[in-house]
Amino acid sequence: MFTTIIKRDGRTQDFHESKITDAVYKGLLAVGEADRQLAMELTLEVMKKIKSEYSGDYFSVENVQDIVETVLIEHGHAKVAKAYILYRENRSRLREARSTLMDAVSEILKETNRDNANVGNSPSAKVLQISEVASKNFYLKRMLPENEAEAHSNGDIYIHDLSWYGKTLTCLQIPLDKLLREGFNNGHGYIRPPKGIKTAAALAAIILQSNQNDMHGGQSFAYFDRDMAVYVNEEKKRQEKIIREGLKKLNLSADDEKISELVCERTKDETYQAMEGFIYNLNTMHSRAGAQVPFSSINLGTDTSEAGRMVTECFLLAYEKGLGKGETPLFPNVCFKLKDDVNFEEGDPNYDLFRLSMRVACKRLFPNFSFQDSSFNKPYRDEEVAYMGCRTRVIANCNGPSVTNERGNLSFTTINLPRLGIRAERDLAKFWKSLDDVLELCVTQLLTRFEVQKKLKVRDFPFLMGLKLYLDSEELKPDDYIEKAIRHGTLSIGFIGLAECLTALTGEHHGQSAQAQALGISIISHMRRRCDEATAKYKLNFTLLATPAEQLSGKFTKLDAEQFGILPGITDKAWYTNSFHVPVEYTISAMDKIAIEGAYHKYCNAGHISYVELPSAPENNLEAFETLVRAMADADMGYAAVNFPVDICCDCGFNGVIEKEFCPKCKSGNISRVRRITGYLSTLDRFNDSKLQEVQNRQVHYKFQK
Amino acid sequence: MRLAGIVPESFIDGPGLRFVIFTQGCIHKCPYCHNTETWDLNAGQEFTVKEVLRIIKTHKKNKQGITFSGGEPFLHAAQLCEIAASVRQMGWNVVTYTGFTYEQLMYGETNFHPDKIDKTGMKELIALTDYLIDGKFVNELKDLSLKFRGSSNQRIIDVAASLASNHVVNADF
Repeated sequence: MFTTIIKRDGRTQDFHESKITDAVYKGLLAVGEADRQLAMELTLEVMKKIKSEYSGDYFSVENVQDIVETVLIEHGHAKVAKAYILYRENRSRLREARSTLMDAVSEILKETNRDNANVGNSPSAKVLQISEVASKNFYLKRMLPENEAEAHSNGDIYIHDLSWYGKTLTCLQIPLDKLLREGFNNGHGYIRPPKGIKTAAALAAIILQSNQNDMHGGQSFAYFDRDMAVYVNEEKKRQEKIIREGLKKLNLSADDEKISELVCERTKDETYQAMEGFIYNLNTMHSRAGAQVPFSSINLGTDTSEAGRMVTECFLLAYEKGLGKGETPLFPNVCFKLKDDVNFEEGDPNYDLFRLSMRVACKRLFPNFSFQDSSFNKPYRDEEVAYMGCRTRVIANCNGPSVTNERGNLSFTTINLPRLGIRAERDLAKFWKSLDDVLELCVTQLLTRFEVQKKLKVRDFPFLMGLKLYLDSEELKPDDYIEKAIRHGTLSIGFIGLAECLTALTGEHHGQSAQAQALGISIISHMRRRCDEATAKYKLNFTLLATPAEQLSGKFTKLDAEQFGILPGITDKAWYTNSFHVPVEYTISAMDKIAIEGAYHKYCNAGHISYVELPSAPENNLEAFETLVRAMADADMGYAAVNFPVDICCDCGFNGVIEKEFCPKCKSGNISRVRRITGYLSTLDRFNDSKLQEVQNRQVHYKFQK
Repeated sequence: MRLAGIVPESFIDGPGLRFVIFTQGCIHKCPYCHNTETWDLNAGQEFTVKEVLRIIKTHKKNKQGITFSGGEPFLHAAQLCEIAASVRQMGWNVVTYTGFTYEQLMYGETNFHPDKIDKTGMKELIALTDYLIDGKFVNELKDLSLKFRGSSNQRIIDVAASLASNHVVNADF
């Protein structure tokens, strides 16, 4: 009598009575009444009811299940009904989980997710995103302890790079010197040490790329100028040999002075081209999981040797020139190390390179500046503290030497500070208690993850561990666990939205009131203290991170707005303010911002960065740029940069602020707009929504005030 | 003295990081002016020299100098002289923008209505200025690549050198 039924997804299907019998029988089984006959009798009752309610109409699976429940209860099988209801709920939960995953996948297939500003839109990018969603689901539902998964899902904390949770570590300062000196094998044969600068630069790019495939985070060179200088000197020898041989062949003679002049000229030309090639490579090799260029960073500026200076100069000039049509290179992230007596004062041997780096920054946003003489970097002055990518800093080590190379962050987890602030309802005691609770949760969670990471084997990382790039990995065999090496890495607790947290607690943020600033400092210093205590207790390097908020901006805010409503100054915009920053939309002088944020750098030993926003590039005013950088140093900052809009006409190459839709020079509408996001550069069309809103709300720290 | 605004921190109104005072009132009315709201002689807000100096004191740190812009600063020459003299003692230099030319101001070749303009302090203000950026904005000569200026007829004049040599010396920018 009935031939079709409507399935859950809306499609119709042939109707089979026997399926009802099966379901009822399973319910009976669950309560220990394996009675097939009873199941069939009950099925008849169900059919009767269906007929009376839906005769002639279409009905769905859900309709039938409702009727089954009613029939079971009416016929005195309450227990069976309960089992049936439970069974039904369980099935629908499973179905939902599967469909959340499927929804996510179909969303990705529609448009590549914009969480990460470096991800392109290629088929590989989509497959990467789908696998990330699936991994994330797997780790959350199958691997993480329930309380940690729950805290992540509800937005108390954010476990970064969850899709890579059980597989790898975050980032590394790669020992470039060692790899080039000894040569390396990336699995397809031995690569011998380079004999010229072009080969060295090409290999440097390949090294960043190769190691990127073993890790999910940034790849960096800490001493790029020093390490490449060796091959500038090799290049010199090579050039001299070529020139002398050429002269001999042509039966010509020349005095040594002229030859050495020519050698220098040729070497510089080769070095420039090598650096240009390096930059091109890093902006074209989509080698991170086949879909992204590597998150590459280089640190330079302090090598005062002739060859080292040549590397820095040529790199900066090539970076300034940009890509083929003058586009701003998005990679590598360039960090210029500032150091007293080396390059910070007029008369220092590399002061000219500092001036050049500011000129380049005016056009390209990079370099950023790291301050080697800040109170917390100074103890490592000889070693030099390198920064990675957006901000990561790794130096102190409770398990060995405090060195820069061959170490990195292992994993990091961010605390939703505004939520703690909102929940405390201005009761500070309540706030401190909840802060301690969540800090403890983070420590536990980082340890849980470390337990998984340390049991990974050397053979899981063909490049990273296979080539013994990690400190203390020399002796490890392919089947050994990596614990011995990664004890030197850091486990970091991050935070976001100090500003909104302070607003929730006091009504004002730290840009607005000195009291809020004082409370801000005590919150962040307390968090640092807890990290230091965890370091002592667990003999692992726990550090405090001023989180780069890219993946997070928006996520916490959306959840909190749903839970607590729209609270002015807290959840009334699409994002929470980056780490300890003064809100981007708040009007404040650059000097005040520098002074306020500078106070937090020393506590955030896992990394920190501050930005000053300018309305346009100060390229005509390097004095002003230098004043800003000096103020940053005076404020005891460790790492900082200046931001301004960089718009480039892709047709005529005009570079500057293009406020309108069209280029002011050639009227072309083909404009590329580059902005900084989480420390990396990105073009505007690759921003995710909340980040885009943040950029549009960025307050220029310069204003016409009445 | 009527002011259109104060910008305690500017990167674009002269070399280094600068404190900028925008005076209210202008008689040049250049076409395509980007500060037309500063034209009206009676708009803006009244400030005493003392009040302005007090604001300057709170923004003393990390500045290379002060810039007088507008509006036409030379309509307030006497008061700006007081401010200029005071900030020079703090080690600041002084940049003054004007729609007049150096020659008009120095040699009285002004073509404005004499009743309306108080010329007191004009020459003194020039003497207290390190860099005078002179001339009207001429849209036909607009050039985005110029340092601190809008159109190519405008000059950045090294005042000390010009006064010493009795002819206009352009600053090296």
